[in-house]
Amino acid sequence: MSVTSKKSLTFPGGIHPPEKKSLTINSKIHTGFMPKEVAVLLSQHIGAVCEPLIRKGSLVQAGQKIGDCDAYVSAPIHSPVTGKVKEIALRSHAVIGRIPAVIIETLPAHPVKKGCVQFDEEFDINKYSVEKICEAVREAGIVGMGGAGFPTRVKIEPNPRLPKTTMIVNGCECEPYITCDYQIMLEWTKQILIGVKLAKKASGCSKAFIGIEDNKPQAIEMMETVLNSLGTDEIEIIPVKTKYPQGGERQLIRSILKKNVPTGGIPPMIGVLVLNVATCAAIAEAVVADVPLTHRVVTVTGEAIAEPGNYYVPIGTSIETLLEVCGGVTQKSARVIMGGPMMGIAIADLTTPTTKTTGAVTVITKEQMGMAKFERRETACIHCGRCLAVCPENLNPTRIAHAVKNNLMDVAKSYYITACIECGCCSYVCPAHIEITGYIKTGKIFLARQKKKIP
Amino acid sequence: MILADVFELWNNIWPAGAIMIGLGTAFALVLLIASEKLKVVVDPKIEQIHEALPKIDCGTCGYAGCGQYAKAIFDNPELIGKCSPGGAAASAKIAEILNLQISDSGPKKRPIVHCRAHKDDKTIYAQYEGIKSCTAANALANVQACAFGCLGYGDCVAACKFDALHIVDGLATVDYNKCTGCTACSKACPRNLIEMVPFSQENMMTVACRNKENGKTTRAVCRVGCIGCGICAKQSDLFKVEDNLARLDYAKYVPCEKTEAAMNKCPVKVIIYRGKSAPQPAMPTEKPVPVSK
Repeated sequence: MSVTSKKSLTFPGGIHPPEKKSLTINSKIHTGFMPKEVAVLLSQHIGAVCEPLIRKGSLVQAGQKIGDCDAYVSAPIHSPVTGKVKEIALRSHAVIGRIPAVIIETLPAHPVKKGCVQFDEEFDINKYSVEKICEAVREAGIVGMGGAGFPTRVKIEPNPRLPKTTMIVNGCECEPYITCDYQIMLEWTKQILIGVKLAKKASGCSKAFIGIEDNKPQAIEMMETVLNSLGTDEIEIIPVKTKYPQGGERQLIRSILKKNVPTGGIPPMIGVLVLNVATCAAIAEAVVADVPLTHRVVTVTGEAIAEPGNYYVPIGTSIETLLEVCGGVTQKSARVIMGGPMMGIAIADLTTPTTKTTGAVTVITKEQMGMAKFERRETACIHCGRCLAVCPENLNPTRIAHAVKNNLMDVAKSYYITACIECGCCSYVCPAHIEITGYIKTGKIFLARQKKKIP
Repeated sequence: MILADVFELWNNIWPAGAIMIGLGTAFALVLLIASEKLKVVVDPKIEQIHEALPKIDCGTCGYAGCGQYAKAIFDNPELIGKCSPGGAAASAKIAEILNLQISDSGPKKRPIVHCRAHKDDKTIYAQYEGIKSCTAANALANVQACAFGCLGYGDCVAACKFDALHIVDGLATVDYNKCTGCTACSKACPRNLIEMVPFSQENMMTVACRNKENGKTTRAVCRVGCIGCGICAKQSDLFKVEDNLARLDYAKYVPCEKTEAAMNKCPVKVIIYRGKSAPQPAMPTEKPVPVSK
């Protein structure tokens, strides 16, 4: 099966921004890096915040559980390093603000985790029961590593009300600049595929598709070779068209299965489970080798980075340290973004630690920012309709943005503001430079406040 | 000749006029009878209640306007007391109209902004270039170094219908002469900095800070932020320090020597007066700690 024999699948709408992946595309994953201090946030997932299990001054081993919670939708948190707990203090989280974090000082002499665990022996799926897989995934604290951070155990566990039939593995990485998933697919192919098999078994899916964008032919080839050697087992690799936001789960389902996830719904409603490739590798590590999720690959990239590359870092490393490791930022740096340029969040506090969901740190220059056309140049909407053409969710973005701007939340709701996936395509194409996605995000916060009835 | 023309004109016009008058009278009679027969009995008390309300249609009570609220009170007198601009005075009047006894609801509530940091007092890591709205800015976790303080993009100013709120040098400032206590600003603030406080005095003492970080971090980000040192709590029982933040019990507040002492001894001068004739707050003597970023 060659890459070209299949026609790349796609979804309606979307854009194709400059890929910019050449900065880090050939960068192997740098391992063995160990910061002097890590700040492990106690909420790195969607769901309940963890309670710290250790106290100030206690010694922790690498991989020791340091935070947990009884709630079903939550994931425990583990220490990535061996060291001493300096304090439990507030640290910045890129999205939710100041939240408690366990700050651990690394002890100088201790082993450094060198990349994903290698599996030498023959893999036998029958050794692992469904319960065992789910329990191991939960104990390892695995969450969706693509960005949302939903606890994976909740996703893969069989649910009689929403039975899952198809599994989709997301290897698209449609966001510009980022290459961490691509490198994982090249270097840790076996781990990913074992993870896919385990997740497939646990969720009871009969079929699994691995969607990879067709600008990564090497990854597709590599995955196919290893898949054939491991036994295909109803797993298929599907090249999908290089387009943003191909890696959005709703878009990927539309591309591969030609099915629409209901508005405001989630993929299990149509019997689909979507997992990221990095999550699959983490599942394999957790189930086979019993290793918790404490490290992840982060792409540090952008025109303003001296040595861009992919780094295997302990979760909790501050952005500051990460930038230092990459040779620091150049004079031209203008904005530090956690994530990619399309959906990432600009951060001002460089002590912000990385989390389980941080796939990239992008530092862009003023010229790049100018190309991203934002702010101070906003003009009136010319009703060209480009945002409608590119919206992957078939919404009317400007209508929603203007409704929010004029505080007409009922109008915004009637245009389905909640269905927006905040991909940023509309802001990208807008010739009037209206920050449409920003307004829609703001509108969603307004709606949440209205519901909460804050006194 | 001219006279003849006039007569002819008159002869042509009068039947039309007569018909119009006749029709008008007939319809007037119909309307008169209808207004008597189909009359909706409105209790004069509703009108009286409406008169007692401030009639500014601010919507604080949860109804579309004062008229709607007056009707609602008439139907269910338990709803008395939802009018913040009218306050206790309006409630007492309404109770009198409805012949009811109401318990004293206390002094009028007015908003207090729990932040006193102007532009130069706080550290800002980076320049915010997004949508000029506090809600939008607050979605970015560290748009300014202090995660609790006033952002100064004026969501509360936009919400105020009475021109009683302004951003003065990066800080939302209430004009207590114009404020009606409608609570719109306190609902608009994404950081919940604006609290409705019963103003038992003309000027209320307040701890104008909401920063729950430890003292060291607070010092690094703001020179007038509460560091939770607890000096005020030692001076007066009305102050309590929880989560590195001093709080004043507004319900029990009466000006006395102890509270004055707490205010004067506060090292960061975060305890200040807010109100119609509040004196200019003192500034801390030390220089702000420079933060390298």
